[in-house]
Amino acid sequence: MSKELIDAITNFDKDGALAITNQLLSGDVKPEEILDHSRTAMQIIGDKFEIGEYFLPELIISGDILSNITDQLKPFLQGDGTKEKLGKVVFGTVAGDIHDIAKDIVISMLDVNGFEVIDLGVDVSAQRFVEAVQEHQAEIVGLSGFLTLAIEPMRDTVAAIKGAGLTNVKVMIGGGPINELVCEDTGADAWGANAMDAVAIAKGWVGATA
Amino acid sequence: MKNKDTAQPTPEQLELQAREKRVWDAIRLQKPDRVPIVCYDEYFSLNRGGITAAEAYYEPERASEAFVENVVKLNWDMVSLFGIFPGKVGEIIGLKSNKWAGYNLPDNQEFQYVEKEYMLADEYDQFLKDPSDFVVRKLWPRMAEGLEPFGLFPPILALSHTYAPITEIASVAGQPEVQEMLKTLLRVGEEMNAYLAHVDQTIEALKQKGYPVLIGESGAHAPFDWISDYFRGIKGSMMDMFYQPDKLKAAIEVVTPPIIEYAIQAAEEMGSNVVFIPLHRGADPFMSNDQFAEFYWPSLKELLLALIEAGLTPSPYWEGSYTNRLEFLAELPPGKVWGHFEVMDLNKAKEVIGDVMCFWGNVPSQTLISGTPEQTKDAVKELIDIFGDNGGLIIDGAVGIPKEAKLENVIAMTEAVFEFGVY
Repeated sequence: MSKELIDAITNFDKDGALAITNQLLSGDVKPEEILDHSRTAMQIIGDKFEIGEYFLPELIISGDILSNITDQLKPFLQGDGTKEKLGKVVFGTVAGDIHDIAKDIVISMLDVNGFEVIDLGVDVSAQRFVEAVQEHQAEIVGLSGFLTLAIEPMRDTVAAIKGAGLTNVKVMIGGGPINELVCEDTGADAWGANAMDAVAIAKGWVGATA
Repeated sequence: MKNKDTAQPTPEQLELQAREKRVWDAIRLQKPDRVPIVCYDEYFSLNRGGITAAEAYYEPERASEAFVENVVKLNWDMVSLFGIFPGKVGEIIGLKSNKWAGYNLPDNQEFQYVEKEYMLADEYDQFLKDPSDFVVRKLWPRMAEGLEPFGLFPPILALSHTYAPITEIASVAGQPEVQEMLKTLLRVGEEMNAYLAHVDQTIEALKQKGYPVLIGESGAHAPFDWISDYFRGIKGSMMDMFYQPDKLKAAIEVVTPPIIEYAIQAAEEMGSNVVFIPLHRGADPFMSNDQFAEFYWPSLKELLLALIEAGLTPSPYWEGSYTNRLEFLAELPPGKVWGHFEVMDLNKAKEVIGDVMCFWGNVPSQTLISGTPEQTKDAVKELIDIFGDNGGLIIDGAVGIPKEAKLENVIAMTEAVFEFGVY
């Protein structure tokens, strides 16, 4: 049955995946286990994205299926339904930028890979990032930005985080206009071109195997 | 265009002709005297002129002054008219689909599009049954507060009997909300007239100084983008590719003819032969080549060929990376399409479309913003080395000149053209 669930998700069969989830639940399979299978499916899709077989539509569809499954499981989950987390990541789209699609995909892949992610949303001020890091004691910050206008706020946010004495916190940046040059310019610790890069960077920082 | 007294062209008129010829030679893949520089500039010149985006939206005359000054100083051959819309018009009509400085964004920020599902997933049938009716009564109210009273109208087809003007149309016009809307539209029209007169003045001011303007900004869109940008949003349209592909394709088919018809009509009205087509969702990361071939390319190709057939030069702005799509682009007729590129494998582009399409753009935004003049010059030189041999090259930043670009880098871009780009 768990294989069927993984197959349904990787074949982008939303109705099938939700029906199997229901059957598993009524067959007394633990919701945590169902979530694990769903994450395995997401990992398979992520791997295909990485080798250039899948693109944005597949990430959007599988993200949609996963969030539907999670909604279905929520009433049955104890706590947040997950094993021990690899680390805490504060994530958001920087001030002035309201794009959320890439951010949401990265967050869902980080979550699937065992991170606890605090989603600050879009158009997030430098100050708000600093407060969230302090409040949640996060080890990692992810800054997303789609347009070149995001570069200045990224620079400001990195400066604010380091300036607040949070020098142990690692900052990664990503999005359309980001490359090595911009990474250096903003003072960020690393940059990534896509969600899988973000996962690899974050895992590297917490000492987990990729 | 002749000087009245002597019937001889003025130096500025000669310069204007030389610049136009330079650009058109490059587009037609014929060698001009040197590599042309044609730039998109929305906010960079404002930044340089010390004008905030908010001021530009509400005092367009100040914006165009800075714009003209910048073009002349940097010696660009042609410029696109800045993409800043009149803030007053947006404010009066209550535009919900954009945010802009001076209204609902901080003073010095570029505008943002509010991405959402303006048409819901289950509304395709309604749209396909009567597209224009759906646009007027459903979409317009969702786009702008001032247009919400269109939602009060009866089905437009129900107004097609000859008594409608003295019955239903008159009645709906009498409703307080509709009366308010008509007053709003009157003010919107007046504001827009003032703005358009100002645009004409800017074009004239540039021409007087010998600089041609690339107009045709209203342009066209890839039909897939039309549905994805304006109807379903990126998430919605990509889910539709899986969950209701036939309806998505039917909608694309419905919007294609009016996009073509209007692009031709607008080009005639503006006296422009270039049709600007900003492309959004066709870039490499957005879909596979199979998906591109199925959903994106057929209607875009139809649009491009129809414009060429009408004697126009389509100017697609291939935003993002299009390296994976080069084989598709190679299907287009040579020297007829003027493509602006952001991210590209340059050598592969030369190999696949070097004899098809003039290559325009690509000087990396990251270099212009975070790099040095030397790095900028290297980027320009690389473009000239690769594309210069048949003349099919025009220089611009990858997304035009970003607001945050360093002045010394933008100057270096022009210098590099004069240093390495004289044929």
